[in-house]
Amino acid sequence: MGGLLGRTRFAAIDDVSFSLEAARPEIFAIIGESGSGKTTLARMILNTLAPSKGIIRFLGEDISRFRGRREQLQFMRKVQPIFQNPFEAFNPLKRVDRYLFASAYHFAGHHGRAGREAAADEALKKVGLSLAEVKGRFPHELSGGQLQRAAIARALISSPALIVADEPVSMVDASLRMSIVNLFKTLRDELRVSIIYITHDLATAYYISDRVLIMQKGKVVETGPARQVLSNPQHPYTVLLRESILSPDDVDKSHLAGAA
Amino acid sequence: MKEWPRASLLGAEIEFASMRTYARYFLRRLGQFVFVVFVGINIVFFVTHATPVDPVEQAISSATQFGHSDPRAVEIMRKALRELYGLDGTILQQYVRFWTRLATGDFGPSLSAFPTPVSVLIRQSLPWTVGLLFTSTLIAWGVGNSLGGLAGYYRKNRLLKAVGIAATGLQPIPSYIMSLVVLILFGYIWPILPISGGFQMNVSPDLSIPFVSSVIMHSILPVLSLVLITIGAWFVGMRSLVSNIVTEDYVVYAELAGVNRRRILTSYIMRNALTPQLTGLALSLGAIFNGAIITEFVFGYPGLGTLLVRGVNSGDYSLVLGIASISIVAVATAVFVIDLLYPLLDPRVKVE
Repeated sequence: MGGLLGRTRFAAIDDVSFSLEAARPEIFAIIGESGSGKTTLARMILNTLAPSKGIIRFLGEDISRFRGRREQLQFMRKVQPIFQNPFEAFNPLKRVDRYLFASAYHFAGHHGRAGREAAADEALKKVGLSLAEVKGRFPHELSGGQLQRAAIARALISSPALIVADEPVSMVDASLRMSIVNLFKTLRDELRVSIIYITHDLATAYYISDRVLIMQKGKVVETGPARQVLSNPQHPYTVLLRESILSPDDVDKSHLAGAA
Repeated sequence: MKEWPRASLLGAEIEFASMRTYARYFLRRLGQFVFVVFVGINIVFFVTHATPVDPVEQAISSATQFGHSDPRAVEIMRKALRELYGLDGTILQQYVRFWTRLATGDFGPSLSAFPTPVSVLIRQSLPWTVGLLFTSTLIAWGVGNSLGGLAGYYRKNRLLKAVGIAATGLQPIPSYIMSLVVLILFGYIWPILPISGGFQMNVSPDLSIPFVSSVIMHSILPVLSLVLITIGAWFVGMRSLVSNIVTEDYVVYAELAGVNRRRILTSYIMRNALTPQLTGLALSLGAIFNGAIITEFVFGYPGLGTLLVRGVNSGDYSLVLGIASISIVAVATAVFVIDLLYPLLDPRVKVE
């Protein structure tokens, strides 16, 4: 990014390195405040942004080489995105089922109508929906929670190895958050999908992730197994993040009571 | 699952819960349309009748300005003119007479070009105005939106940035300045185009090549100045609509899925940004019937705008009222049509 006057350049991501093992699916949380470079990192992993330096490899291959439509489709069959705002994940003028059918067609090779519908229904059942509930509906006719589930179902149709979920629950009602977070656990354990879970929310990250990576201003400040990093943080930023979570204890000690 | 009746327009799929709900929607919008037209024409009726310029006195003064006239003769003339113009009786009687005439599509005789009916005057001017404004509105809308869409999508393109600066710079220029600048540039400094009138006087107005080409030559400068004034708003509007849509996740998803850029631009981005711009187009097309008063006046174009100015100056209520009524009906019709089309263009608009 360049400023108009200063002509200064700064990297949104600086020296970030990590790897996930294909054989051992896990939930890998990338945690950081807004502006810490999380979304940029997600876009790089999804191959919509090319890193200016360094290499991202998927199954041994440099993903920046995937330039053609066929290679990109091949890559996307294995790596699927889930976005923050479920209402933006689908074109508001197109039916949601069209997306599911298109995924079944392009990624899972279902050319017949019956095959497409069966694939969509199967994926929707995995997230607790069914084709009957979604069919013929436009995005505005579904709730945020339903849409986010449909987005996850869309990602599941191609049986991916990796899902990159960028703040997938921050725009979903608090009451539905846990059901989606738990869904990720199920995907990891039963469908053996690895998930890169990008969030600013330590609580859900602590709850579901195997490993975490804490970012601040584009740099990695701490990384390691989730329980270890979050229960015994070493870096002051991690400590700060941890302290800014509200726990029931805080309420008891009336830290928040203020004048009362 | 029951299949609802479907309609499709510009690639968006629509279904109606039932045609009956759409019929109800149609009737309610029709009711609004009639109400708006009625109220609008009433307002114009009372405003024009409150004008301080009296057409009868105007006619008398032009008849009596050469030499002395007998006051009694003037009084008789005044009375006769009042009857002729339909201005005798109370304002209430005039009002009733106005509506009964209007019901048959008759705006009465023009008072400044007596006894030519207003409808004849309007019919003479209307094709000029419609031709001029329809062309310039469509050019400005088409070019402005296409370039604006491209500029919103390819934000780093130097050429499109330059177009953006030019468009935003032209936008605030008032129409009278733009018309005069264009007129001076191409009429005096580099005199290549005719600057006044609708066609050359020595060409007979029939469908012949000399006449048509003369009409086109005469329309270039007014069209150019109208396009230059209005294109900026379309450009800026479309550019900001598109730059909002570009960052939406469904566009990112389409890019990820390797949908080619041209298809993303047309069928994901422009298509979604177009709905509000279509409303704007409908309103501009409706406003055509006002005439482009200033531009027509500067270029001496024989359209509705020039006619309206003449009507106002001579206190010709019938004429002003006729033009205003037509433009009220036109704008209301445009809104009505776009209201009916909107549920077909955007599934988020509920037909209830």
